[in-house]
Amino acid sequence: MSEKQFHESNELKVSGEFNETHRTQRTLQTPKTLQTNKINDDLLSSLRPPTLRWYLLALLLGAVVAWGLAAFTWQLTHGMYVTGKNRPVMWGFYITGFVFWVGLSHSGTMVSSILRLSMANWRRPILRAAEAMTVFCITVAGMFPLIHLGRNWTFFYMIPYPNQRGLWPNFRSALLWDMTAITVYIIGSSLFLYLGLLPDLAVARERSSGWRRKMYAFLAMGWRGTAHEWSVYHRASTLMAALIIPVAVSVHSIVAWDFAVTVVPGWHSTIFPPYFVIGAILSGVAAVITLMIVIRKAFHLEEYLTPLHFDNMGKLLLVISLLWTYAYFVEVQTTWYAHEPIEWEVFSFMSGTYTTQLLIMLLSNSLLPIVCLCFRRLRRSIGVMLVLSLLVNVGMFIERFLIIVPSLSHKNMPFVWGSYSPSWVEISVNLAALAGFVLLFTLFAKFFPIVAVSDVRELEARRGRVTMGRAGVPSIAEED
Amino acid sequence: METLGIFRDIESAATTVEALVKTGFTEAQITSLTSVPYPDGVLVRSGHSFRFRWLAAAGGLAGAIAGFGLAAGTAWLYPVQTGDKPIISLYPTAIICFEVAMLFAIVATMAGMFLEMGLPALSQRPYDPAIADGCIGICLTIHAGGEAVLCEPGVKPEECIGGIATLSATEQKVLAEEIMWASGALRVIGEEAP
Repeated sequence: MSEKQFHESNELKVSGEFNETHRTQRTLQTPKTLQTNKINDDLLSSLRPPTLRWYLLALLLGAVVAWGLAAFTWQLTHGMYVTGKNRPVMWGFYITGFVFWVGLSHSGTMVSSILRLSMANWRRPILRAAEAMTVFCITVAGMFPLIHLGRNWTFFYMIPYPNQRGLWPNFRSALLWDMTAITVYIIGSSLFLYLGLLPDLAVARERSSGWRRKMYAFLAMGWRGTAHEWSVYHRASTLMAALIIPVAVSVHSIVAWDFAVTVVPGWHSTIFPPYFVIGAILSGVAAVITLMIVIRKAFHLEEYLTPLHFDNMGKLLLVISLLWTYAYFVEVQTTWYAHEPIEWEVFSFMSGTYTTQLLIMLLSNSLLPIVCLCFRRLRRSIGVMLVLSLLVNVGMFIERFLIIVPSLSHKNMPFVWGSYSPSWVEISVNLAALAGFVLLFTLFAKFFPIVAVSDVRELEARRGRVTMGRAGVPSIAEED
Repeated sequence: METLGIFRDIESAATTVEALVKTGFTEAQITSLTSVPYPDGVLVRSGHSFRFRWLAAAGGLAGAIAGFGLAAGTAWLYPVQTGDKPIISLYPTAIICFEVAMLFAIVATMAGMFLEMGLPALSQRPYDPAIADGCIGICLTIHAGGEAVLCEPGVKPEECIGGIATLSATEQKVLAEEIMWASGALRVIGEEAP
């Protein structure tokens, strides 16, 4: 849809091209519809034809993804020795990437669900980006175990179906729990994203033409916005939000059990599932903030993503950062106090060999967020929030690495202690995963409304002013 | 057969609904078409019960059974002897049961929602693109031949929805259009009587 078509479609609406009887030709340009039109225009601006800069960005991201695919093909043809993995460090950058991306995916849907259930009105412009982030992060995360497998062409051995091999996946393996949970989360998050999109697809359908109109019309399934449709839609959204939260918690708990149910020192700990869930929410909230800043800048949505939103997200990040610090302290303190030789050996090795990384992690995930986010002015500063949110995710990637590699390097048998450094193949695949995520998000923003139009407009429709005593105060109409 | 009136603001739309009800149309025949949801009763009253929640619950139950079958049933059918471990282990079975139960419940919620909404709509229904831009649509369903389908058994149509029931569908349509125009409709889109 070109900009011209965009405006033409508006004009069509004013002149009216329907089979109705025109008794009086009145203009639709009332203050209310003008305001609605402006919101529609602003929030659907991402659907306008791509600019040269967009194409260049997509090309760059596509090139990085292609490089990652080439690296993976190299690994396929030459074998796993091209990675840095060795005995005893059998899990490296791929599993680090897997845990990191699962963590990122955690928060989008969860934040959206919690804010939806708690009816926090400031959630509205954030929802869509958060939900889309979840879908793309979990998709990227799901690729890593397949890449990590070795003999990747036999990945279908994990799918349970009667076969000539006489093999059946062993559900006692934590890795099968992972596969099941991730599959459920991908499907659940995608449906949750689609559910939120449904009314906006109908709006986009009416404001587009050509193949886009056909696509939106197909996906909107004939949505008209009748009172009954809205009523069912709201109840279904609430139910979906309630259902998706336990799934999100279970996914990262299961990822934590991949580690915790083993008897590897540093992993075999009951705090791992909650610690992983908290870490996942921390990285996810930070990623949502980063995306909010990027979307705000790219699509000029300063009017909708206001400092208030960053203030509230900053408070959320502060609370999660405090929780993460507490969980990390509990884990280290228990190890330190018990001083069990092998556990202490792993911790000493980690803090001695990876001192810089450890300090960056503590600074990024704990010290800086806690200090900075206490101040309202800093929470409302877009620049500060961007730096902090990026740092948190750098810190979280390091945290995942420090959980995996040191424990495997210095396990129970000292005669097989070793070390690990990632190869160019692993680094390339991880970079390609990041580029792939950004590319998917960029494409999504070009084809679908990146801000929840109906949600934002619902708030506008319910907004009013009431007189209390001598003053007029803003109000929002709510149902019982 | 549906007749749709387009209004520029919520007040004139609400006035129309009141006028239609006063004339003898029932609340159940009237619905609003909006691009944002309004609280129940602001325009129309939809006193529906929601059956899809039961479908979601049934989906969850079916999922739990399917999960049990997948984890425990297949372990029993294809036993993998691992040391001293039981063939059917409670802990993994519970995890798989939970995940599959949630999957089925989520899918059933979506399916139930669409079923209850009557989507996807296979036939073309009256709609106006202005609704997407903030106008309000008031849609009246007129039953063919003036049939008062909403009456309780044994109650005369006249007692149920007044004089409207005695009018033909075309007469009802004309009356409804008159009311909509009088209340300030920007346009009225009507389906032709079959």
